[in-house]
Amino acid sequence: MLDLLWNGLVNIAQWKYLLPLFAGTFIGVVGGSLPGVTITMTVIVVLPFTYGLDPLAGLAAMTGVYVGGSTGGLIACCLLGIPGSPASIATTFDGFPMARNGEPGRAIWLGVWASVWGGLLGALFLVFLTGPLAAIALEFGPWEYFSLFVLAMAMVAGLTESSLLKGLISTAIGLLITVVGHDPIGSVPRFTFGSQFIGGGFPFLPVLIGIFAFAQIMTDLEKLNSPRGQPAQSLVGVKLERFSHLKVNLEIFKQPFLLAWATIVGLIIGILPAIGGSASSVMAYDQAKKFSKTPERFGRGHPEGIIASEASNNANVSGSLMTIMAFGIPGDAVTAVMLGAMTIHGIQSGPLFISQNPDIAYGIYAAYILAHPCMLLICVMLMPLMLRVTSVRMAVLAPVVLVLCVVGAYALNNTMQSVYVLLLFGVVGYVLVKLGFPLAPLILGLILGDQIEINLVRAIMTDANPWLFLTRPISGLLLLAAATSVGLAIWQHWRHQNRMAEEEPDF
Amino acid sequence: MSIGRDGIAGLVLLAISLVLLVKSFQLPSLPIVPVGPGFYPAIVLSLMAAASALLVLQDLLKRRAPAGVGDAPRRNYRLVVIAFAIVGAYVVLLPLLGFRVATVLFVGALQAALDRPRTVRQWVVLATIALGTAAASYFIFERYLLVLLPRGAWTGF
Repeated sequence: MLDLLWNGLVNIAQWKYLLPLFAGTFIGVVGGSLPGVTITMTVIVVLPFTYGLDPLAGLAAMTGVYVGGSTGGLIACCLLGIPGSPASIATTFDGFPMARNGEPGRAIWLGVWASVWGGLLGALFLVFLTGPLAAIALEFGPWEYFSLFVLAMAMVAGLTESSLLKGLISTAIGLLITVVGHDPIGSVPRFTFGSQFIGGGFPFLPVLIGIFAFAQIMTDLEKLNSPRGQPAQSLVGVKLERFSHLKVNLEIFKQPFLLAWATIVGLIIGILPAIGGSASSVMAYDQAKKFSKTPERFGRGHPEGIIASEASNNANVSGSLMTIMAFGIPGDAVTAVMLGAMTIHGIQSGPLFISQNPDIAYGIYAAYILAHPCMLLICVMLMPLMLRVTSVRMAVLAPVVLVLCVVGAYALNNTMQSVYVLLLFGVVGYVLVKLGFPLAPLILGLILGDQIEINLVRAIMTDANPWLFLTRPISGLLLLAAATSVGLAIWQHWRHQNRMAEEEPDF
Repeated sequence: MSIGRDGIAGLVLLAISLVLLVKSFQLPSLPIVPVGPGFYPAIVLSLMAAASALLVLQDLLKRRAPAGVGDAPRRNYRLVVIAFAIVGAYVVLLPLLGFRVATVLFVGALQAALDRPRTVRQWVVLATIALGTAAASYFIFERYLLVLLPRGAWTGF
């Protein structure tokens, strides 16, 4: 395995891969540091540039965006007091107070170094655990796959912040989108209403780009020109104080348990499907506070808060990559785009991915590992630029991002059809967000829809007994876990409502 | 008992799922294959219909806070409608004017709509960004990444 990893590292160290990786990481750091531009949006912007590249070069660029974006967000956290990307939300709690106390350099670099170490620790798990996980998945038959996908969707629907019902509906909409077009077994057209436009079904990437990019940009535009748009005490353009990188690293390694625990929290959240970096950052921060000897210092510029949040959001990336490589299930929206990019290049994700495409699999590991030094180098060289980039206006960003979204959709197969789909789902995505429907379950449904149907039909064709889904041990366990996850979500919701009712004064 | 936004959304989704559910039953069954093409959509649509119905019910039973309560930030929906209209126009004009012309117009128009330039200098910056975006994306995609961008049916450019 180490041989393969070494080969992967040597392979990625070639210019044709290193350049896209470096460029991707740079764009990731910039995109991450722009408030209102999420990592998903950045990876969507980069997507069309990867169409013409070698598959590994494209995936290296996207991995770079993912790693760079997870770190870049902390710059806005420390200077503006608002997260540059949702993944670094908890960094704001201590990063901004520390920067306002006259230590912006310490705050930013603690975050950058914690990201590097958290990410590299996560890489160990990525390299050594993905193979065994995929080996387990190789034992799966269609029943187990079907149940695994159901579990993934049940977890996502249950874990969304809004109601479980809306999560379930969102999942169903995602699944429904995949049903439109020809059925996978007999090619019978379904729900096409005789239209040529939807006859071939909705292509995955334009739907994904439309839903995510438009929902995000349009929601940002709502807040434009409002008095709340600009943070009050921005530190943009501030000069960093003198500090020592060695001291910052000592500060991180003084608490190895904190670093390791934050990494593990990030990794686990990353492995769970479709829960993004924001959850891992907040959860690791919360854990750090619980285990800290000085919890009262959290929220006032405590280094432990920054370390926990940043180490975990980079480790989260390795967890997401593990899920996509071992099971073909995206850990979040960014890996969903990566999965789409793989499909364009004809690479089948899933448990056979590593054994069938070892060059690409180990290339992705290598890209993930090398993205960290690249990110560090970019931060060291370009920090003065980064400190200013956070102030780029949305009026300039939005049109440029939208042009790249249109190009991304058009260039898929050089037809305007994909651009119309993009616009259609842009409107759908925005309306759903405004109605409070979470988008993560929809995307998961969209990605897994075909696979769920194929595995369901395959299972029934192999043996018509429907009880096999429950009586085969792994499949049964997975379905039980899915039911438990939904039950838990209902219980939590019920408890939350009861608490609210108790707190409400009854006149 | 009054219906809120969730209730209306639930009703619309319920209607869509029921119509499609009927359609899925009308799909032909295939020989040899034990389940027809309508089998899986019917499961998904039943789930969606049930969840939508529950959403309507939940909304009807919900205790509502009196209107006007809460400190929601003011949202600029006018800008969102304008932005969608400009994107719509861009998508329509793209095959007619071609990528280069349409993109210059789109980037310029959207920037002006989002943040109207007041001085000559601001107009120059706007025009530079519009031209720069179109030129840079055209150059990178067509020259380096071998992606063919739309040519205009009217302009031939």
